[in-house]
Amino acid sequence: MFLTTKLAEGVHLHIRQTTQFKTVNFSIKWRAPLNQETAAQRAVLSNVLQHSNGKFKKSAEFRSYLDDLFGTVLYFDASKRGSEHTVLLNVETVNDQYLAHNKVFNEVLDLIHTAIFNPNFENGQFVPSIVEREKEMILHRIQSIFDDKTRYAQYRLNQIIRPNHPASISASGTLETVEQVTPESLTKAYESMINEDRIDIYVVGDIDVEAVQKKLTESLPFKDRTPKQPEQTTNESKPEREYTKEQQEMKQGKLHIGFSTPVRFGDEDYPKMQIFNGVFGGYAHSKLFMNVRERESLAYYASSSYNSMYGLVFVVSGIEPSNEKKATDVIYEQLEAIKNGEITDLELAQTKAMLINQLKESLDLARGQIEIFDQYKNLNEPFSVDTWNERWQNVTKEDVQKMAEQVKLEAVYFLCGKEA
Amino acid sequence: MKTIEFKQLDETLYYKQMQNGLDVYILPKKGFSKTFVTFTTKYGSIDRTFVPIGESEQITVPDGIAHFLEHKMFEKEDGDVFQQFSESGASANAFTSFTRTAYLFSATDNIYKSTETLLNFVQEPYFTPETVEKEKGIIGQEITMYDDQADWRLYFGAIENMYHTHPVKIDIAGTIESIDKITADHLYTCYNTFYHPSNMLLFVVGNIDPTEMMAFIEQNQGKKEFSEPTKIQRHFDEEPTDVAVKERELKMDVQKPKVYVGLKAKQTDLSGEEMLKHELSVQIALESLYGRASNFYTEVYESGLIDESFAYDFSLEKGYGFALIGSDSRNPDQLAEKIKEVINNAATILTEDSIERVKRKKIGFYLRALNSMEFIANQFTRYKFNDMNLFDAVPVIEKLTLQDVVKALETIQGESQQTVFKVMPSSEQAE
Repeated sequence: MFLTTKLAEGVHLHIRQTTQFKTVNFSIKWRAPLNQETAAQRAVLSNVLQHSNGKFKKSAEFRSYLDDLFGTVLYFDASKRGSEHTVLLNVETVNDQYLAHNKVFNEVLDLIHTAIFNPNFENGQFVPSIVEREKEMILHRIQSIFDDKTRYAQYRLNQIIRPNHPASISASGTLETVEQVTPESLTKAYESMINEDRIDIYVVGDIDVEAVQKKLTESLPFKDRTPKQPEQTTNESKPEREYTKEQQEMKQGKLHIGFSTPVRFGDEDYPKMQIFNGVFGGYAHSKLFMNVRERESLAYYASSSYNSMYGLVFVVSGIEPSNEKKATDVIYEQLEAIKNGEITDLELAQTKAMLINQLKESLDLARGQIEIFDQYKNLNEPFSVDTWNERWQNVTKEDVQKMAEQVKLEAVYFLCGKEA
Repeated sequence: MKTIEFKQLDETLYYKQMQNGLDVYILPKKGFSKTFVTFTTKYGSIDRTFVPIGESEQITVPDGIAHFLEHKMFEKEDGDVFQQFSESGASANAFTSFTRTAYLFSATDNIYKSTETLLNFVQEPYFTPETVEKEKGIIGQEITMYDDQADWRLYFGAIENMYHTHPVKIDIAGTIESIDKITADHLYTCYNTFYHPSNMLLFVVGNIDPTEMMAFIEQNQGKKEFSEPTKIQRHFDEEPTDVAVKERELKMDVQKPKVYVGLKAKQTDLSGEEMLKHELSVQIALESLYGRASNFYTEVYESGLIDESFAYDFSLEKGYGFALIGSDSRNPDQLAEKIKEVINNAATILTEDSIERVKRKKIGFYLRALNSMEFIANQFTRYKFNDMNLFDAVPVIEKLTLQDVVKALETIQGESQQTVFKVMPSSEQAE
């Protein structure tokens, strides 16, 4: 699906030529081991790079230029996966053929070069006033979690269930580590990102493959590097407490429950665990939706999600605070039911159909193609929809039952109003 | 079956009106595996006072009923419709807005089966007193969830400030008290009035053969009986141009204040290409005044008055319209003043250059958006319900002039049309 070439040691270019889209998408991913300090540096860095560069020193100039290129979208962002931190640059531009008289493609390639290799430096480092302001932005971003009760409850459960572990480290770092960022430290972080990170470059669209390969080799002159490997995630981190209740001024109760599973992305049991999650609470036909919501009318949402990087399963539901015990009981009953093998042929067939549909749908998006290829390329086998379909089709009731038996309750977090 | 070609965009749209009045549009997309289908009625939360079909007296129904009805459509005598969609590997959903209720699914296989499920479940109502009672707990939690969301409260607070009588100021889901009054009879009355095929639109986009799909839909519709289409009589009270409340605030458990400046639109009776031109002009004006390349944005960003939550938007439908501009801010009053200053002096700020730049940006936006089946289906339906055509947007933008933009902006510019709504950290937290 993607044609991969090596631009330098540790730097790979993946190109997909397709007439499916009216735009061309670029995605460049820089990866480094995740910890609180690097996350903070790199989150601020992605904002600073997005703000301006050596050619467009003011944000407004930079944005005006993008508008003129028919609203070319260009943004840097910070994210994480497993024990790695990612700085990414996403660019989406309109395919020239849909524009009456204009050619923007080459200008966009030049702009990508500028955004990466020509930072807005003063005396050899980032401009202090810009660094300070973007630090402020990241600090607000971290604080704003508090104002969204669902996100806050999940953030607290992550901290409780896996303290000092990649699962509870935010891609933006912490208030403390962001405060410590200086123009000097940020310049070092930038140099390390450009020269030491593992880099993957993706291009999807109706493009001339050879010409883009040639042009990108010139405009992205990354040097050879031996990327640092993140430390292997272990299960050493244990939950602080089994049950935590916290109160704020609010009406709804946010019930978040964390379970662990030994099964990780890429393991032989991974497809079985995906089916387990679908039957448990992944879809509108799942046991959680059908029982917590439809049968008991306890909630508007009740679902589970499986984080295969950390081996965690989370159940979330918004309930009347006084129904905490009842909702918790109904949730545990659903897990018990799966452990007892109470899984219908229909539930199994529905879950398989939904998983295959989801995978195929995400491949209809340029970003979906990039993300899926990026994730599955580490599995040392060529990715194909058919392979995954076959793996899911082979999963039996007994397999799902076995997965449920390995799922272990680790921590419960309940956030609710003060009077409850 | 009619075909409509959009040469520059490389798209062909197929259209046919069914005998029962249902408008069906099909847009084939080659190279995709997905198909996305929406089935939408021109009925939303604002349609609360109307003459029920076959009657002569106007009634007012409890708030939140369109949304309640949307929930209840999924439950049938033999169970939950989500189950059938899941079996075919289709992701189904629905939403209710101020003016529309849409039912939709996306899938990569069994497209005909899911299309049939969609058509049949929306056209076969099943409401009983028991199922209606049961839903009150679920929707009650949905309402409570929104009550705790500061951004949602900010949005509705600003709209409430602007409107005296128009039901756009009422929360789409209603309140715990208003939904408690809803009965199965209410649901049938609303259903029979607003779910007639002549008040609905089906949009199919994706990997399908248009001829075959059109025949399939026609056959399905041909098997069902509907009454003769009648004109729906909705009633709205007179709404003044001025805002109802100039300034108001709400205390919530948040870290940082939030503020919206609301600009109430006085021109809300347009439709067709006039409306398209007007709406795009206002959007382009706002982007020129408040967008990331504007002087305003540079100033408030650099002085720390806004953060990444800064946003602006313009909504327009028949009978109401408003722009909202705001952000989380340490100093919401100062920010609100700056926002008003810009709108009050817009004529001196807008230039040919800034308009041309934003026009290019907007054209790029539409071309990017046409990669998204969800965008095409939802927006096409919204446009059509206002007699506009989504695919005309790019040519209309190309023709807009500075005068068009300035003139359109004047309709939201009056000082008496301005309001400020804030969500402030509750005192307890501030200590």
